[in-house]
Amino acid sequence: MTENNKYWRGIEDQSNPELSEKLAQNEFSNEISQADFLGNDELAESSTSRRDFLKFMGFSTAAATLAACEAPIVESIPYVVKPDSLTPGIANYYASSYYDGYDFASVLVKTREGRPIKIEPNNDASYNGATNARVQASVLSLYDGARMHNPMMDGAATSWGEAIAKAQSLLTANSVVLTRTVISPAVKTAISKLGLRHVSVDAVSQSNRADVYEALTGVRALPTVELSKARVVFAVGADFLGDWDGENLNGAYAAARKPGSDMLRHIQAESGLSLSGANADVRIKAKVSEYESVLAHVYNKVANAAGVATVSAPALREDIKLSVEGVANELITAGSGSLVLNGLNSASAEKLAAKTNELLASAAFNTSKLDFTATGSDSDFAALLEDIKSGAVTSVLTLDTNVLHFSTAMASLADKVSLVSIADRLDETASKAVVALPMSHYLEAWSDAAPVSGIYTVGQPTISPLFDSKSAVEIVNTLAGGSESAVDLIKASAASGSASKAWNALLHDGFADVTSVDVVTGTLDMTDVAVSAPLKGLEFYTYTKAGMGAGNNANNPWTYELPDPVTRLSWDNYVVMSAADAVAFGVEVKAQSNGSMNGTTINITVDGATLENVPVWIQPGQTQGSIGLAVGYGRTEAGKVGNNVGVNANELLAPAVNYTEATVVASEAEHGFASVQLAHTMMGRKIVNEINLPTFLSGNAKEWNEKPTFESYKGPLTSFEANLWDDQDHETSHMWNMSIDLNSCTGCGACVVACSLENNVPVVGKDEVRRHRDMHWLRIDRYYSSDMTKEVAEEEGVGAIEKYAKMEVPSESPSVVFQPVMCQHCNHAPCETVCPVGATVHSREGLNHMAYNRCIGTRYCANNCPYKVRRFNWFNYQVNDKFTDVNPSQDDYGRMVLNPDVTVRARGVIEKCSLCIQRIQMGKLEAKKDGRQLTDGEFTTACAQACGSGAIVFGDVNNPKSEVSHLKQEERSYHLLEEVGTQPSIFYQTKVRNRA
Amino acid sequence: MYTTSKFRKLSALFAVFIFLFSASTLHAFEGDAKNGKKLFKSNCASCHKLDRKLVGPALTGVTDKYSEEWLTKWIRNNAELRASGDEEAIAIFEEYNGSVMSAFPMLSDQDIFDILQYTIEGDAKPVPTGGDLAGGTTVVVESKDYSKQITIGLGLLLFVMVMLLTRMKNTLRLVQGEDPVSILDEAGWFWGRLINNKGFVTVATIVVTVLFLNQAYWWMSGIGVEQNYQPEQPIAFSHALHAGENQVDCNYCHSSARHSKHSGIPSANVCMNCHMYVDGSEITDASGNLKYDGESSPEIAKIYAAIGWDGENREYIEDYEEQPIKWVRIHNLPDLVYFNHSQHVNVGQLECQECHGPVETMEEMYQYSELTMGWCINCHRETEVQFEKNGYYQDFHEELTEKYHGEKITAAKIGGLECGKCHY
Repeated sequence: MTENNKYWRGIEDQSNPELSEKLAQNEFSNEISQADFLGNDELAESSTSRRDFLKFMGFSTAAATLAACEAPIVESIPYVVKPDSLTPGIANYYASSYYDGYDFASVLVKTREGRPIKIEPNNDASYNGATNARVQASVLSLYDGARMHNPMMDGAATSWGEAIAKAQSLLTANSVVLTRTVISPAVKTAISKLGLRHVSVDAVSQSNRADVYEALTGVRALPTVELSKARVVFAVGADFLGDWDGENLNGAYAAARKPGSDMLRHIQAESGLSLSGANADVRIKAKVSEYESVLAHVYNKVANAAGVATVSAPALREDIKLSVEGVANELITAGSGSLVLNGLNSASAEKLAAKTNELLASAAFNTSKLDFTATGSDSDFAALLEDIKSGAVTSVLTLDTNVLHFSTAMASLADKVSLVSIADRLDETASKAVVALPMSHYLEAWSDAAPVSGIYTVGQPTISPLFDSKSAVEIVNTLAGGSESAVDLIKASAASGSASKAWNALLHDGFADVTSVDVVTGTLDMTDVAVSAPLKGLEFYTYTKAGMGAGNNANNPWTYELPDPVTRLSWDNYVVMSAADAVAFGVEVKAQSNGSMNGTTINITVDGATLENVPVWIQPGQTQGSIGLAVGYGRTEAGKVGNNVGVNANELLAPAVNYTEATVVASEAEHGFASVQLAHTMMGRKIVNEINLPTFLSGNAKEWNEKPTFESYKGPLTSFEANLWDDQDHETSHMWNMSIDLNSCTGCGACVVACSLENNVPVVGKDEVRRHRDMHWLRIDRYYSSDMTKEVAEEEGVGAIEKYAKMEVPSESPSVVFQPVMCQHCNHAPCETVCPVGATVHSREGLNHMAYNRCIGTRYCANNCPYKVRRFNWFNYQVNDKFTDVNPSQDDYGRMVLNPDVTVRARGVIEKCSLCIQRIQMGKLEAKKDGRQLTDGEFTTACAQACGSGAIVFGDVNNPKSEVSHLKQEERSYHLLEEVGTQPSIFYQTKVRNRA
Repeated sequence: MYTTSKFRKLSALFAVFIFLFSASTLHAFEGDAKNGKKLFKSNCASCHKLDRKLVGPALTGVTDKYSEEWLTKWIRNNAELRASGDEEAIAIFEEYNGSVMSAFPMLSDQDIFDILQYTIEGDAKPVPTGGDLAGGTTVVVESKDYSKQITIGLGLLLFVMVMLLTRMKNTLRLVQGEDPVSILDEAGWFWGRLINNKGFVTVATIVVTVLFLNQAYWWMSGIGVEQNYQPEQPIAFSHALHAGENQVDCNYCHSSARHSKHSGIPSANVCMNCHMYVDGSEITDASGNLKYDGESSPEIAKIYAAIGWDGENREYIEDYEEQPIKWVRIHNLPDLVYFNHSQHVNVGQLECQECHGPVETMEEMYQYSELTMGWCINCHRETEVQFEKNGYYQDFHEELTEKYHGEKITAAKIGGLECGKCHY
């Protein structure tokens, strides 16, 4: 006999049988709306049913099919009169020079069909032919629609004639010309023609440093350094790799740090982790307010040894005292091979550094060859502010300086003066001006420059002005009553100098040697050196980031999308804070379920001024009691990309001042970061192979660069011998390989921007980066060391779980390594074997090809890639409304920057590094057309070309004479994740640190 | 050297012969106007017309004005003639503001006579059509395709025969006393058998489906294939005239094909190299009258309008707002493929016609090839690499020959089928 027993399926069944019944009826109770599927917010509000959806789908499919049947009519419009020098499809290069008041570079401009599309370094230039991320990105600023389209008067567009007349009427005898540092002799001449007082002030000030050399040499300038002559460099707060005059020092730094017995040793004392600090062999954590005393202690030690009077200095913190003393001893030992660099905008600090160099007879420190790229004067500017306050100055002509953004003091006085602004856009300053005169972008303007002693450069237009703008020199000259054209002014300027080249040669090369300014070196007066005492409380300082610099490319999406090399955050500025401080202030940064990072914000108060809801990033290596904020952000009038990104650090601290005391309270608001790297440590794996110099010199490469082996019946085999697949045939023709020297790579990010430009990599914006959908084909991974290592765990008997948990946590004073990672072009590629449609296949030249038009977007390849370098195109970035504000391709102007030799990928395909196959193909074709063999280094990839430190070398390993084939044999070379057996075409060189 | 001197001797003999036999005639030479026209077109036409002053004087009646001996000297080397102090020569030089005429030392006497003969005879008036066809004109009989008619005819015949047979069958039935059967009934019975036959239905379904899918496949793979695409162009430009009749080299106008990925559509200033002189005003209609009343042809005038050329005063109009010619692009490759002309024309040494077809016969340009990937790939499979004389291939030509044991080495064998060679 059976009984109808009721069985509960769970405790809910008993407690709420109705609900349980309902659930049973409706198995998939959690409905997924189509809106979520489509990712369209608007659809969420509509009542689209499944049937409607299918109808739409059906209709659009049919419509698309029909539309596809009819080919659109494409017009092909040739020139009426074709310029001789131009052949459609062939790039032309013009030499030019870049200077924006912060970065200087001698560059080559690549143009296609008359459009500048890429900035390349001018390798022949005698001074700084290298490009950094900012200079690389600058080409996009040309196509910025937010630039001023015509002269403006009282907020309305007007003609040049009227604007100039109005400006001239505003400028009276007591007007002042306010500029950033001017290094153009032609502009200087034009300004002097105006006969007005000229004040220059920089957004990132080196004013007090320049004062020292002005007193010493009679010329307002900064000294130059030659790292090739140094053995030990001690930099105090000086980020000479990040923000000292572009890339100038990176090449020399990398060259001096080639591993060997004479390798340059680099010691950095700093508060926040800068690029230079990250590359240093030894890093001393000192607060910004301690920089002077650190320098003073080193100086005193050196002075004692030299028998010279010392300076009085406050005692150093106990935990850094010993290290600083050690540094002083090392410097004394190195003698003339030593170099001390100061980055603080303080006369005392600079004198201490300069005098130390003098006492040590430093060969690398040069006060007779001078650098003129940062000579703004804070004292002149302060005097100007006083005069405006008193009413002595009622009108100011600003030239290419956004002074109302970086100087709150000036901003508060803006109503008291009539402004005439020469600017590229209606920025914070020009928008307040009575007359705003549009200045051409450097790629459409004539310019000249005298960046350092003995060098003269010219910049030439590579395109007609897109808008009704003029070269800066021409505008100033017109205001002064002149009528010459820009080219005539530059020609005259070149002729008046002692340029060693005729005009055409000068234009072709972009630079010439000139007689340098006579420098009379006096003696440093050390009597007025006053070493300030370190701050007791919390210290707030400002710094510059690799992408943004001084903020001149503030509406340029590439500068925002480039992740900061150290924090790996994009689209933001934030306070960097040490972990200990974070605990004290109750601040935390947490990973979200979707993989993004959210953090607490704080309110910072300095002298009564408060900056609210500033996000905080907890930064390993940050000195406790010191918080930093990057300048150049928080723009309101930059354009749609740059407006309201981050906060303006200069609201708390004027550029003239480096640090101040601040109070901080945690605020309620939460901030979302766009972080591209969540794993901060290598977890004890050999991802970046790093050794110390003595180990390297011991020469036992088998030990420090151990290759993985696999046990087999034939005995241990390397990953190249233990194969599942047949070998590819790479004997005939070319085999492209790339070597990346981790010892030379400084992590600056120039390659990342260069790659984006060259390969039409889309900008995706903060929201997408937060979802890890960044599209960069080349990323620079940054790893911190951890206090916990396998050795430590073994010694202390730490258990496995605890060990790995602790290994995830970066050290409070980490060493930092950078590793550029792009598609490794595996010769046994895991991606190729899983692609169901054969969209990614191997070439006989060692490349892993990606055919976008074959790809159906399964993303199997991305999942199977051990290096995670394949990026999936989630959207049609070039048309989707979501990216209107950030993606340059959505703009008629911005689209002109696209490289016509590379496809703009559509939605739904995987893309990745092609090893710049368009350049390879073009290079081979040129050789074939000439009927000659390829020469090594004839062409290279965009990243290798942009790399100022020469870390990336590309070439044909089948050519035994090529550099890359030699590098492959180097004992430092290894493949990333060699144990996986992918046999990549990219290989790395072990990083060597110059420390015991 | 031998041949040259032999020719010289021959031509000298010839000259003597002509001198002896033509002393009494008005024109003291025998010239072939047909050859003269050809020589005139290639040597003289850029500065002279028969009926009109161009850079130099109109040449009709030139033989009346000057002696053939003088003309020969003048044409050979007019500077020499002027230097010798010839008054007539100096006069004409001054009349044309000292513009120097090129010397033509390569023209033989006979050549010069031919040209002069042409200046006398002028262009032969075309024979009006529709009139006398017997004058050597071949009548082309259009060959027609009759296969359709034959099929229809045969079909009709078959139908009639079936009807006859049915009739006969019914008559026989009547004779035997049976009822006549309608053909429809029989067909119905047959049809019913077929429909009920599962095997037949299955086979038929499969056949129909396969045929349908096959058709659909070919139809769909034809989407976007624009073979024979022949859009109307803003100027009725004839490749047949330029590349065919006048034998202008393709590279003359499409000069970047050798250097660049684009073959390049010539800019208007390239057209002007010739059309500064060739304005089409001499074109005659069927009845031999000037077609455009001596004005320039309306199609050529479009170039003048684009670039701003004043035909009357023979000069460019100053500050003219140029109007680019908007040609309609015929060969459109999708954006996802990279194609480079110089690779094929310069390195691969392909003739333009291999892809673009008999352009020299096309009155109006059209897309000759499919331009599909299959078409590209096929050519890469079949075409041998031009290793010879190209230093780039020097080393691996040997390596490849060894590897492929002397087989022919096609583009495909050196990686010409790899995706990344065209798609990036």
